[in-house]
Amino acid sequence: MLEFDSVTKSYGGTVVLDDLSFAIQSGQMFGFCGANGAGKTTAMRIALGLVRACRGEVRWNGRTIDLEMRRRIGYMPEERGLYPKMRVLDQLTYFGMLHGMTKTAAHDSALPLIDRLGVNQRTGEALEKLSLGNQQKVQLAAALVHMPEVLILDEPFSGLDPVGVDALADVLLERCRAGVPVVFSSHQLDLVERLCDSVGIINGGRMVAQGSVNELREREGNRQLRVVVLDASPGWAAQVRGVHVLSQQGSEVLLELDDPARDQEVLAAAQRTGRVQHFSWRAPTLTELFREAVAA
Amino acid sequence: MTSRTVVWLVARREITAKLRDKGFLLSTAFILALIVGSAVLPVAFSGGSSTYDVGVVGNTGQLEAAVLAQADAGGLDVELRAYDDTDAAKSAVAAEQVVAAIDGGQVVVDSSLDPALERVLNAAAGMLVAQERLAEAGIDPAEVAEALSVPPLEVVPLDTDAERNAQRQFIAFLGVVVLYGLMILIGQYVAMGVVEEKSSRVVELLLSTIKPWQLLAGKVIGLGLLGLAQLLLICVAGLAAAIAFDVLAVPGDAIGAMAHVIGWFILGYALYAALFATGAALVSRQEDLQTVLMPLIGILVAAFVVAIQAAQNPDGVLARITSLVPALSPMVMPVRSAAGAVAWWELVLAVVLNLVAIALVIRLGGRVYAGALLRTGGKVKIKDALAGS
Repeated sequence: MLEFDSVTKSYGGTVVLDDLSFAIQSGQMFGFCGANGAGKTTAMRIALGLVRACRGEVRWNGRTIDLEMRRRIGYMPEERGLYPKMRVLDQLTYFGMLHGMTKTAAHDSALPLIDRLGVNQRTGEALEKLSLGNQQKVQLAAALVHMPEVLILDEPFSGLDPVGVDALADVLLERCRAGVPVVFSSHQLDLVERLCDSVGIINGGRMVAQGSVNELREREGNRQLRVVVLDASPGWAAQVRGVHVLSQQGSEVLLELDDPARDQEVLAAAQRTGRVQHFSWRAPTLTELFREAVAA
Repeated sequence: MTSRTVVWLVARREITAKLRDKGFLLSTAFILALIVGSAVLPVAFSGGSSTYDVGVVGNTGQLEAAVLAQADAGGLDVELRAYDDTDAAKSAVAAEQVVAAIDGGQVVVDSSLDPALERVLNAAAGMLVAQERLAEAGIDPAEVAEALSVPPLEVVPLDTDAERNAQRQFIAFLGVVVLYGLMILIGQYVAMGVVEEKSSRVVELLLSTIKPWQLLAGKVIGLGLLGLAQLLLICVAGLAAAIAFDVLAVPGDAIGAMAHVIGWFILGYALYAALFATGAALVSRQEDLQTVLMPLIGILVAAFVVAIQAAQNPDGVLARITSLVPALSPMVMPVRSAAGAVAWWELVLAVVLNLVAIALVIRLGGRVYAGALLRTGGKVKIKDALAGS
């Protein structure tokens, strides 16, 4: 289990992380969401020992993360960067070795990884000769080459094409299934929704919502009812007691109920006014949950 | 993983990267050519004797024979050309076909006469006159010639070490030039490498798995080993060229002086590389590098100038003091050592002081380096870097 325990960080008088606590189980994929400047990168850098926390600590299986432990973490920094003039394969082998692998093991691990992530250029080329998308894939390979026990990735999907996204998601899910806890930050919330078992939304250095996407939905009280009625008389929904019309577009209305249990009364009213084509509770998307959580 | 493994991994990467760098290989070849050239060029310039073309007016066989005989005795190469009259000889001098023309009791020259040639011509003229007068007095010309041929005086030098000392100083001077060049070159490599890691941001990935000092040490050691290899190559090539072209009288002295230069390269390089790396960590772009390196290069230039002065006056007050000052001693001390005027305690003191300086710079510079590495953007202030480490 990877635990962030009351991690607090401030620069001068500015608080960047405020008593941040959350945990990721082994084999869990954790999506770290938050607006720009919310503190995601700082939290990840603290886990990697690049920034020192003012208070609190990050633990792996109950032990404070030290340098020896850090070698077993796979990290992809937000600010991408490898040696521009170093050859791709040499580079990955080097980073594998810096994480404690033998030269042969690092080399043997790097080769299939490059292939799987779809770096379809010669691996003997200097990194700077590759396209930006391929450089990004090599960066990911550098985080994965040493078969890390924990993965911490800052915006790993940004800059990848849909095929690249799928390839990376595939690799991450595979590592996840092998028991590796994966934390990644992303602004692509549909992707987070699709991939993650658990989501944390951070705002102003504080964790404002946390749990599985379903749990977050449950917690979200005011769910919306989407009703499509053909040949309805205008304003039919507003006449039903305890119903607020959020929006109306042609024959489609989006409603909010004071008491969700009275949805059948709404259905009855709809049937009286015309032909009901669609009637459903609409699950809020993670984007909507995110907006709600950040606005609160 | 032990620190040694990590440092060696970093060092090896630096070495491999440089050995694949065409710029580095070219600069090595250039330095080698320069050193071999400087060992061989003096031979090419001074060893080859020059020929004097001298004109003679009229048919004076005796004079010609006398000039050639004197030139031979004086070690000069003189070639004679005959002219019919004074005007022809004068125009030949004016056209620089001949450096001088003998016309009866006169020597016509363009502006001045080479002193060596003047002695030859005067001696020849004097001998001719003596022969004539003795012949007039009735003495057999053959006897005259024999009586006048005197073997040259044998030269017995009292100061046998003079040439040797001059040679030692020349080697020390050359050593300082090489030291200066290599320290600037390798120091810049260290600085550029630090900035490259910062500007490419690879440093964040590196520091998530190794400590700043391990990165610094690996870089300095790796590039230092390359510099040392270059230096050894230069010494061997220079020595081989000097021996092949017979420039060195005593190779033993040269080897001793080179040993000093190599030892001081290690001490000087460690100090300057740590300083350069610390300075480089403060900036994020290669363009900003020169601004932070300027004062450090200034110290190196000062050390170079003082060392050149010390080569001329190894026992002077300036040389004696600066050969003890850290950062200056690596350049000045090998010069004084080569001149053979260093007391053992001076050498020990200089080494100890330099080691203390290295320890201080690595300690303080290492903190600045660690604190500044992850700060990108403008120039980081030393104070902020220390606070951040």
